[in-house]
Amino acid sequence: MLTFIVRRLLITLPMMLVISFLVYLGLELTPGDAVSHMIDPEVANEVTPEQLAQLRAAYGLDKSFIERYGIWLVNIVQGNFGHSLSGGVSISAIVLDRLPATLELSVFALLFSTLIGCVLGTISALRRGSATDSTLTVVGMLGVSIPEFFFGLVAILIFALHLNWLPVGGRLMPGDESFIDHLPNIILPGIVLSLMMTAGVMRYSRSAMLDSLSREFIRTARSKGLPEWRINLVHGFRVALTPVVVLIGFRLPTLIGGSVIIEEVFQWPGVGSEFIEAVRGSDYPLVMSIALMSVFAVLMASLIVDVLTALIDPRVRLG
Amino acid sequence: MSQQTALSVKDLKTYFYTNKRCNKAVNGVSFDIKKGSTLCIVGESGCGKSVTASTIMQLLPRLSRIEEGSITYNSDAGEIAIHELERDGAEMKRIRGSEIAMIFQDPMTALNPVYTIGFQIAESLQYHTDLNKSQIRARTIELLANMGIPSPEQRVDEYPHHYSGGMRQRAMIAMAMSCNPKILIADEPTTALDVTIQAQIFELMEKLKTENDTAIMLITHDMGVVAELADDVAVMYMGNIVEAGTVDDVLRRPRHPYTKALLESIPVLGRGRSQDIKSIRGATPDPYDRPKGCQFAPRCDFATDACNQMPAEEQLSDTHRVMCWQHEELKQNA
Amino acid sequence: MAKTSLDKKFDRIRDLEEAGKLKSSSGSRALRKLLSNRLAVVGIAIFLVILLSSIFAPLITSHDPQKIDLRSMLQSPSWEHIFGTDRTGRDVFARILYGGRVSILVGLGSALVSASFGVAIGCYSGYRGGWIDTIALRVSEIFMSFPQIILVLLLVSIVGQSLFNLIVIFVISGWGAMYRLARARMLSLREEEYVQALQSFGVSTFKICYKHILPNALGPIMVNVTLTTAMFILAEAGLSFLGLGVPLSIPTWGNILNVAQDLRVLQNNWWMWLPVGAVISLFVLSVNFIGDGLRDSTDPTLQG
Ligand SMILES: Nc1ncnc2c1ncn2[C@@H]1O[C@H](COP(=O)(O)OP(=O)(O)OP(=O)(O)O)[C@@H](O)[C@H]1O
Ligand SMILES: [Mg+2]
Repeated sequence: MLTFIVRRLLITLPMMLVISFLVYLGLELTPGDAVSHMIDPEVANEVTPEQLAQLRAAYGLDKSFIERYGIWLVNIVQGNFGHSLSGGVSISAIVLDRLPATLELSVFALLFSTLIGCVLGTISALRRGSATDSTLTVVGMLGVSIPEFFFGLVAILIFALHLNWLPVGGRLMPGDESFIDHLPNIILPGIVLSLMMTAGVMRYSRSAMLDSLSREFIRTARSKGLPEWRINLVHGFRVALTPVVVLIGFRLPTLIGGSVIIEEVFQWPGVGSEFIEAVRGSDYPLVMSIALMSVFAVLMASLIVDVLTALIDPRVRLG
Repeated sequence: MSQQTALSVKDLKTYFYTNKRCNKAVNGVSFDIKKGSTLCIVGESGCGKSVTASTIMQLLPRLSRIEEGSITYNSDAGEIAIHELERDGAEMKRIRGSEIAMIFQDPMTALNPVYTIGFQIAESLQYHTDLNKSQIRARTIELLANMGIPSPEQRVDEYPHHYSGGMRQRAMIAMAMSCNPKILIADEPTTALDVTIQAQIFELMEKLKTENDTAIMLITHDMGVVAELADDVAVMYMGNIVEAGTVDDVLRRPRHPYTKALLESIPVLGRGRSQDIKSIRGATPDPYDRPKGCQFAPRCDFATDACNQMPAEEQLSDTHRVMCWQHEELKQNA
Repeated sequence: MAKTSLDKKFDRIRDLEEAGKLKSSSGSRALRKLLSNRLAVVGIAIFLVILLSSIFAPLITSHDPQKIDLRSMLQSPSWEHIFGTDRTGRDVFARILYGGRVSILVGLGSALVSASFGVAIGCYSGYRGGWIDTIALRVSEIFMSFPQIILVLLLVSIVGQSLFNLIVIFVISGWGAMYRLARARMLSLREEEYVQALQSFGVSTFKICYKHILPNALGPIMVNVTLTTAMFILAEAGLSFLGLGVPLSIPTWGNILNVAQDLRVLQNNWWMWLPVGAVISLFVLSVNFIGDGLRDSTDPTLQG
């Protein structure tokens, strides 16, 4: 198992390196050099030209492109992403401040959509051809067709503005401390964010389940006289699980991407809404850093999915 | 029904309704299987052998049904009319695996890839016996050992992909035999295996038959296997049994042109190169566009106008029956 | 035993079969299956209605989508303005129709262009193998490891907003999926005997690629084009909603929705955003129905 993870990491690392290089290239080509976003602008105003030159030398800006990239990379590995153009705050500080909100939302959506999607998809497959199945199929289709943010707007209109059941947006109200306190705040964005993913997982687990149920070993299980639930769940669902886990892994980027717009709609103070602010304000260092981190998150997630797949599928695990 | 009969099938019809068409895959077959004996069913691909087998176990797909006929199973507790049982009802589930068991053609796909062999054998025992966990495990290992799997204590915890094809088929047989079924249905159990393994598997089945008095229904393409193993033979063509009888009846005194053609189309070992092998002319008809009368007539050398009518089954002796207008002709010919 | 509805259906089919009324049908199996799929037919109908009314917008409405009319601001729906007017008095219905032109162009256009790129590169590199293949695969991996929206926003922040830029960006972010599909098909087809036979006859690689292999992979590619179209339409709507997609001066579905970021509009002027959101959803839904129908009808392993 350990060798499996190490081998997998060795494939991921070069990818990360190439992508970081591309991102650095983008940074170099956009306005503002390393000094202007590596030092706090407030301090920078008081710096004399010589000091600036010194600083540039200190940060290696007089060095060759490759060397500068190396320095930048070392900094990043140490968690130093430089400074944002607007406000001059350290990028790591901004992201760290906003990360819990985003994680909270994504994990909520991930759990919700996996659970509901698998259950509905399995029911749909077991009742194929029935009214339940057709209804779920059409609902699932709607789920992947309605833009998430539009769904969010309608949800705000109904549940927050008209019925007044849930807040319009935001995460922490003054005085909120525990997760329970802001549970009302996460319900709308969480469910809206998971909608598309739920529909996707449902559609996919339905077809994975149908595929698994049509396989020969199901007939074998039936010929042994096993009870129906055991045939369907222990044999059918267990085998359908592998492709479903893989799909969820594939969909994770969509979830991370989807959270960008949803955070904006619900004024959820996460990394996504910060990213949009940065794009609007052409804050390149911030844009690039967040993009780089999102790639990192996706690669990590796909690594975890691979490990999970190996865990649930003996053919992969034992080779 | 005589006490010696394990299973009696009468005038069974099974139709498929896929793609909004009706395929009369099994169109009136009758046969008996005696305890402790082997019935071989032979016939070209698509003639309905597998469907007959699945019908006995009520393992048919959703878009198909038993149209007519009866399947009577002679259990220790009296006769059971299988065709009247609910497809996935409690009684049918009790019979499956414990009283009637089945082995499938392709051992590669018939086992669940994500569970160990031991788990899959133990499942049967768990649902059909009162054994506790450790007894089940001991029995599982014993079964594997009986099937000649080396070091069964370790092998029991391995996954199907660690087993070779022959070993998987043995594991399948172990699974089928786990509850000492009265009837074993084997649907081309060795088609996917090579010849030496094939011989070993048949040896195993033969042993089981004599030791446990199991009735075996063996589906095969291979006339050599029939000569070797069968007590009785039924020849199927397009959903009918065209000729049935003891091995001697059918192999030595074939009275149906199809049986004759089938026998002539196989080489016999040891007769050298000069033997004259005829393949059957033409191809099996489209199941949706069947001939009106005798299904074999368009390919038959003996066909006459009478063959535009479906022939009835005719009893030639106590054991031998045939479904052909021209069987007298063949008698003189033979 | 009581007869179930399935049993009755079986009886009916059997009676017809025995009367010899069922004939094996001729014609294109895939097309027939597509047309017998109710949802796909509904999808095609909705798709055509929305597409045609966008194309022939001037025939359907006499309003100019861009004409500011300060005397009729924020009017709720009426016979004159079916979906009311916005804050500068522009007719929302006309804006939806004309906006459809751009949105569909962006969605369908980007999907077709990225499909062409993806398929061309995929077929070629999959067929040739070697270092060309490795490089193409790695490049596509890089693009695909970004969450799509983040990649698009990143590129928008670098190259700036314009209609043309958006299409280019969509193509950059979208070709990878199609490339992989085409490549995978190619790898499996390359092994097939008839292709090897063609090769031994000395038919050129290029010709084999595009003439003999491509038609075989057409089904899944078409399915993928529909899915990408749906994805791009949603992406355009999302970006423009954020004000980061097509410049606000051009009416598109996303740009019309943009006003709903204002909670007052959201609460009080439903006609300004609800109809257009519904149209987007309907259009994407229809495309997805078509895609699903195509998949079922081109997949030979499915029967029903
Ligand atoms: N699951 C199914 N759905 C629809 N039709 C089926 C199904 N299984 C079998 N049939 C049809 O029933 C007929 C008999 O098939 P069957 O599988 O019994 O043939 P077979 O004699 O076992 O052939 P083989 O020697 O190739 O195994 C064929 O016409 C086949 O098309
Ligand atoms: Mg068969």
